[in-house]
Amino acid sequence: MQTGKPIIVLVDDSAAMRAFFEQVAAEADLVFHAYESAEASMSFLATRQPGLLFLNVMMPNRDGYSFLKELRRHELHASTPTVMISSKDYAQDRTAAKELGVLEFVAKPISKKAIRSLIEKYLGAGHVAG
Amino acid sequence: MSECYLRFWGVRGSYAAPHESHLGVGGNTSCVEIRCDDHLLVCDGGTGIISLGEELMAQSALSELMVVFTHYHWDHICGLPFFQPAFSKNWTIKFFGPGDTAKDIEKRLSDQMKAPYFPVEIETWMADIQYLEPHNNGLAHGPIGISYYNVHHPGVTYGYRMQVAGKSVVYVSDNEVQFLKTSIAKRIHEFDEDEHELLERMVDEQRSSEVSAIEGVDILVHDAQYTPHDYSRKRGWGHSCYVDTVNLAIDAGVGCLYLYHHDPTYDDEQVAAIHRDCLQIIRERKSDMECHIAREGMKIPL
Repeated sequence: MQTGKPIIVLVDDSAAMRAFFEQVAAEADLVFHAYESAEASMSFLATRQPGLLFLNVMMPNRDGYSFLKELRRHELHASTPTVMISSKDYAQDRTAAKELGVLEFVAKPISKKAIRSLIEKYLGAGHVAG
Repeated sequence: MSECYLRFWGVRGSYAAPHESHLGVGGNTSCVEIRCDDHLLVCDGGTGIISLGEELMAQSALSELMVVFTHYHWDHICGLPFFQPAFSKNWTIKFFGPGDTAKDIEKRLSDQMKAPYFPVEIETWMADIQYLEPHNNGLAHGPIGISYYNVHHPGVTYGYRMQVAGKSVVYVSDNEVQFLKTSIAKRIHEFDEDEHELLERMVDEQRSSEVSAIEGVDILVHDAQYTPHDYSRKRGWGHSCYVDTVNLAIDAGVGCLYLYHHDPTYDDEQVAAIHRDCLQIIRERKSDMECHIAREGMKIPL
């Protein structure tokens, strides 16, 4: 169903991290989908482009870099706006994310306030409660 | 009679430390041999693999091996350009490590031999070299079952779990355990009170993930590079404080822990002091886990 609302997708195996986003999304004027793995997210991403994709790096089975590389090969996701999130606050990981054309690399933990700021920064004001 | 063993060829982290004061522990960088009869699996190709190569060239019973790389930082690959079996047409060598394709693995291993960094390139390798495609369900080398998972270190880095001769062995050369927990502690002021419960859940998730990866293994070879004092200055370098390593191993019910990836600035006495403190922690926690210093040349029957 097309609602005209911006769509945000989060791919993260951390249930707690998904809960942070869910709490922000519950008070926001947007459509939110959360997936616990790269494989699970393909049920949506195979055919739809979100307005903003939040992608974790270290996940079982498939890491975020490998997954984003694959997504970038698809026309649909060649330029999908993506924010990489990770506990791996290392220079080499920031570089790897940058090379994949992400908007930003954000180190965990990420507060609800920071999530709201990121959404406003990349989707514009008015979608999230202040 | 079956002969299976694990042997340390290189136990240093970061860079080689061939100083007299360090040689009781060993000066070569990461390399571990896992042997099960006529099947040879090598974990990492640091400078330790050079001596292993010399020994292999002096025998004729074996002419095939597999090398798995945790990642491609120099201390884990810099022995490979001097690994003699690769230059011998009598050998078959399979390489595996992080990468989306076999081509990725080839590129990462071969780049260090390109001019002007090395006089000959991988075209001079006469062995039958095979780069293995990713196998999410794990690999096997003869009777040795191998699975891998992501660990906490800069870039994509694997830990390897091997099943050999009825024993489970986990090799995690580089891993900064408890990193998220300390990140949360440092930045707790950024969060509202109502977010603290979720933060605690994140810490629990991280711990659970770290524990489950090594739970109940017979032998754990794990990064224990820093003292608490040095870790306080080098947090974020991708390595563990030995206190965190030994506590993680106890929590996971590991049978025997080998302290590995020793800091190259630590001499034999400093590593011995780390070991003594680990044994003290084990006693205080009333654990029956064994704990040893991984020493170059040490051979452990499996």
